[in-house]
Amino acid sequence: MEEKNLTQQESLEIISKMIKETRTNIEKGGGNIFLLWGYLWLVIALAVYAIIVQTGDYRAHWLWFAMPIIGYPAMYFMIKKKGSSTVTFVSKTISKIWVVIGTCALFLSLFMLIKPSALPILFVMALIMNAGVALSGLVLEYKPITVAGFLGILLSFTLLMISGVEQILVFGGFAIIMLIIPGHFLNSAKNV
Amino acid sequence: MFKELDPLLHSQLRLAIMSLLISLAQADFVYIKEKTNSTSGNLSVQLEKLSAAGYIKIKKGYQGKKPKTTCQITNLGQKAFQDYLEALKSYF
Repeated sequence: MEEKNLTQQESLEIISKMIKETRTNIEKGGGNIFLLWGYLWLVIALAVYAIIVQTGDYRAHWLWFAMPIIGYPAMYFMIKKKGSSTVTFVSKTISKIWVVIGTCALFLSLFMLIKPSALPILFVMALIMNAGVALSGLVLEYKPITVAGFLGILLSFTLLMISGVEQILVFGGFAIIMLIIPGHFLNSAKNV
Repeated sequence: MFKELDPLLHSQLRLAIMSLLISLAQADFVYIKEKTNSTSGNLSVQLEKLSAAGYIKIKKGYQGKKPKTTCQITNLGQKAFQDYLEALKSYF
């Protein structure tokens, strides 16, 4: 871009062109974070289910804490590897949504250590996570994620109707609906 | 009646930089260079001018061993951009 005297018309063209350049809500590889958490969630759910079925030992639920232990460093590494520190208002809003959801999930998990029977924890977790997915979809204005989130919110209530160890399988299934499928959709989308 | 256009913004590259930054929470040097199709030298000079006027904030750091420059528009910059748009409207 060379320095030259601008006409008013040229000024308008520059402004509109540059603003258009930033109107990309979905970044290349934007679904990778969804896939990371989705597959991690699914694998841990299946592991917890398998251990309980095999051994009957409900301490297998401690495995859920592997999610933040593995997930956060992996996410940090992925973001660092991406390189660019350009932040759109959309990505900033979505990060903030997940900071709030993550904080709620952490405190809920810690509270359950003190009072394990206080809440139908898998239902509450599924509900807040799906709310996060629906909000992300609405902010991104990306239909597959919005639909997955709202569908997940509705299906979360099935966890109140199922009891026993099968609840864990259904909970694991949510990872496919709300994170894995939208994550693959997001990665295959070029733009919104 | 035509309003006077801010001479600092009434330049091709500086206006392009400000138009990008007005729509982003923050942007790095490489991103701005790519989008504005400018050279590193020219971009550095124009960023410094905007920073000296208080229109943008420049943060210099490192990512690994590579230097990294991140830019963000300030409240003063937002106001200046808005005023520029208002002045521009008076010409049409």
